[in-house]
Amino acid sequence: MRHLIVAGVIALLPSTVFAQEAAPAPSVDLPQAAVTKVMAAAVDGFIRPGYDAFQQSAERMTGAMNALCKAPSKDGYEAARTAFWDLATSWARIEIVRVGPIIEQNRFERILFYPDRKSTGLKQVQGALVKADESVTDASTLGTKSVAMQGLGALEYVLAGTGSDELLNEAGGFRCRYGAAIAGNVANVARDVAAIWDAPDGIQKTWEQPGSDNLAFRTGGEAITALLGILVHGAEAVRDQRIESFYKGPDKAKFPKQALFWRSQNTWPSVKANLEGLSALLETSGMVELLQENDRPVVAATHAKLKSMIELSARITPDLEKAVEDTGERKKLDTLLADGKDVIAKLNDGYGGAIGLSSGFSFADGD
Amino acid sequence: MTWRGETIDRRGFLKAAGIAFTAALSPHALMALERAQAVYASGYRAPDGSFGIATVSERGEIIDRSPLPARSHGMAFSAATGRLAAFARRPGTFAMIFDPRLKAEPVMITSPEGRHFYGHGHFSPDGRLLYASENDFDGNRGMIGIYDAGDGFRRIGEFDAHGIGTHDMTVSEDGKLLVIANGGIETHPDFGRTKLNLDRMEPSLVLLDAKTGALIQRHGLPSSLNQLSTRHVDIGNNGRVWFACQWEGARNARPPLAGWFAKDEDLSFVSLSEETTALLGNYVGAIAVNRRDGLVGLTSPVSGAVVTLDARTGTVLRQETIRDAAGVAPAPGGIAVSSYDGTFNETRSLVAWDQHIVRIG
Repeated sequence: MRHLIVAGVIALLPSTVFAQEAAPAPSVDLPQAAVTKVMAAAVDGFIRPGYDAFQQSAERMTGAMNALCKAPSKDGYEAARTAFWDLATSWARIEIVRVGPIIEQNRFERILFYPDRKSTGLKQVQGALVKADESVTDASTLGTKSVAMQGLGALEYVLAGTGSDELLNEAGGFRCRYGAAIAGNVANVARDVAAIWDAPDGIQKTWEQPGSDNLAFRTGGEAITALLGILVHGAEAVRDQRIESFYKGPDKAKFPKQALFWRSQNTWPSVKANLEGLSALLETSGMVELLQENDRPVVAATHAKLKSMIELSARITPDLEKAVEDTGERKKLDTLLADGKDVIAKLNDGYGGAIGLSSGFSFADGD
Repeated sequence: MTWRGETIDRRGFLKAAGIAFTAALSPHALMALERAQAVYASGYRAPDGSFGIATVSERGEIIDRSPLPARSHGMAFSAATGRLAAFARRPGTFAMIFDPRLKAEPVMITSPEGRHFYGHGHFSPDGRLLYASENDFDGNRGMIGIYDAGDGFRRIGEFDAHGIGTHDMTVSEDGKLLVIANGGIETHPDFGRTKLNLDRMEPSLVLLDAKTGALIQRHGLPSSLNQLSTRHVDIGNNGRVWFACQWEGARNARPPLAGWFAKDEDLSFVSLSEETTALLGNYVGAIAVNRRDGLVGLTSPVSGAVVTLDARTGTVLRQETIRDAAGVAPAPGGIAVSSYDGTFNETRSLVAWDQHIVRIG
């Protein structure tokens, strides 16, 4: 049942008067059992497996780098690049979760420092390579250094930036060992986050069992609102931070070399994986079950739009210079931007309104 | 913001508005204005998704609307000049300055490179300066931008807010002090509205010399309350600064949510019961003082609650549930409240009222 209590002016009262009226009126009021089911599905079916998969990808990446360092070869180099693609897309799927332990202790930035408009990371990585600073070749020590030189952006430069061909030539070379340390550092962070989510009495429990004594969510409504927030903010991030960071429209300035992972041509695989993550969370959590029958089409429509975006992102040229200049490719970018806006609206106002957020999700966050 | 010092009365508003303004109103809006005891302004979102600022009677009847390019948040009103400034919601970069009586074209200002607005600001008492809370996002420090109302709101300087996550701010009645609420939360436009430092927040309340920007007082919070974001301020009688907070820590904690201080005084927290704190959902989204009636209003959209305090003692006079309770401002008698669902006092309109309201007449 949704509460709707309308009050007039709160009149001036004598100081001795204490008036208390109805019980708290949460914006979103949902059946507790249904909420618990959805939250458990989100945590156990998407978030935990997502971090576990990311950790495994990071460990495979570390193995691939160590193998390449030990015995440089064209095949070893290609294996490392493939492992990077796997790591970048594995991260992109779970990256949409921008709450919880991932945003504590700079973990997110340690994994991915982006955007980097002042090229801080690039300068630091290039500096480390020029100086052959041995302290960056140990994963633990690297983890204490600037976040801009210890994550996926730095690893991409090691693998695909200027001078990366030296990875093929020198066994135990500095550049390769730095890359292995970055991979190890990312694996360390991934392991920490996965362990925090896997602890049975930690965040997993607080997310799955909202209640008055819960550390994170006092009510089921708060929990579902937070879950919807992951989707809304994730969709906003794809549009605003991953596409508009280099392309805002045909008449706007274009910056293809500011795109994430342009060097390794993993821009679109990363965007695609972001979108797949959004779709998977929406599907796996069973959020549709919380809606009345007549409100449910908004979920199907959101899925359909995400599916269309996923397919389209796989068809855009990896050559980003061409993507922003070629008329046909640019139309695909415009469609992605328009569809992204539509997905945000469907989640924000459609789903948000259907669960009882009177003005949609993004509107109702106080501030 | 305030009852006495910075609003003009309703008759004054009507008289100052003149024929050009009233002639442009619909008969319904004109009637609403003529019978209004008080006039307010509030940001809104229309059903078509567009944003604007509306003037509203105390009954909640919409008198007039002005479109905005995007969503706004807080407002500043100058009784001296009749101007109203609406600030973009963080991390927005525009502020629009209107004359609600339509005597001049709106002025749009943009935050400088490397800055965005935090959503609040205030005029100096003479209306000549507009102060705005801003984020120096690469420097991760709050700033107060200073704009010259006599020169097209040209930015003429800035002061360090001595904190991060600067949000609301106001000016003392004599214009000598800037009162600043630094919420302590780091954000960066590259990460949208994501809160980047919830595990190491640094909330503070600050008084600056309005002329020089010199730091006069800075109140941090004890470590047990470092996740208590000090977000909004208003000024009561005798220079007492009221502040309201949002708790970013454990949801089952019952932290203090409001308090007061004054120049040369320490912070005092209002002693709310656990029940009232829970009713507010550990969150106060807006605060307003009705100086004439000696009341302080607190709203919580998170849990849908309004709490009225005695401004002399801090005791709770009334607590009430209003779904999505958002803005709060002094009423002719008591406290006026708006809601995201379009309710403003007794009227529900087909708009979503935004987080703050300001009394302008």
